[in-house]
Amino acid sequence: MSAWRQAGLTYINYSNIAARVLRRSLKADLRNEALKRDESHVRITPWANGRPAPRLNKQTNSSAL
Amino acid sequence: MLGRVAPGVCQVVAVVNHQPNRNMATLKAISIRLKSVKNIQKITQSMKMVSAAKYTRAERELKAARPYGEGSILFYERAEVAPPEDDPKQLYVAITSDRAIPRLTTPNSRSFARRCARRRCRGEGGSYCEVIGRLPPTFSDAAKLAEAILTSGYEFGSGKIVYNKFRSVVSYQQSDLPLYSQKAVQGAPKLATYDSLDSDVIQSYMEFSLASMLFYAMKEGACSEQSSRMTAMDNASKNAGEMIDKLTLTFNRTRQAVITRELIEIISGAAALD
Repeated sequence: MSAWRQAGLTYINYSNIAARVLRRSLKADLRNEALKRDESHVRITPWANGRPAPRLNKQTNSSAL
Repeated sequence: MLGRVAPGVCQVVAVVNHQPNRNMATLKAISIRLKSVKNIQKITQSMKMVSAAKYTRAERELKAARPYGEGSILFYERAEVAPPEDDPKQLYVAITSDRAIPRLTTPNSRSFARRCARRRCRGEGGSYCEVIGRLPPTFSDAAKLAEAILTSGYEFGSGKIVYNKFRSVVSYQQSDLPLYSQKAVQGAPKLATYDSLDSDVIQSYMEFSLASMLFYAMKEGACSEQSSRMTAMDNASKNAGEMIDKLTLTFNRTRQAVITRELIEIISGAAALD
């Protein structure tokens, strides 16, 4: 088993971290363009019983991350 | 001539009522409407230009994103992965990209997402609704979403990603991508086609393919949205153009009628004096 999985990372985390490092090590002119692809604009709302659940749930989920 | 104009006149008067002088008010009402329709046309035209630019970008990005989705599907097809029969739990992920004009863009996928969310939650609990901002989707978005699905604690046997597949500028289709659990992949009959796979590699690949398929589905959705927005705005501009033509005609006829009536009044007044 690889070290990053033992540390509790999924492959997505692992490859994202690798990608971020690669983007930051690019030359300045390419870096700006690449950093734009690094952004994320997602908001995640847990749903329960057919409607959005209160914040409480979200915290338990993010702590699981 | 007056008789022919009358129906149109009545319509416009009904819109702007309580005007003492009928003909003057009608002319004014028509010109106000004409102006507003012209403004609307300007707005829809510029919205069309904006979405056309966004659409070209979305299509370019979709082309780049296509291998992500197709590669994953191909893997499942080659390995002949089948959903496990002993695990009936299914995961549905509905991807839609609409915000402002849901009825125009994605009626199917959106309502499907709602329905799914309701049904899922009642049965199992823990479904997610995602809100994505104004910018086109990035891989990090898809990665976050995949992460959320993986950590939601819902053990699924198989599932589907439902999304809007972009077909051409004027059409898109609701379609789905398959999702499988790791167990299903390991039990696939033709997995031996692929070399040096252990459970660790498969697990990593499953995680990555989930993210990349989500990414692909998001891109398809974004492209469908922009293209249908463009089409809708084009249609709206055309309709406004037709309306402007009709209103201009009515306006001119009414103006003519006013002039004719005034002339008649003057002439008959002059004739009465003689």
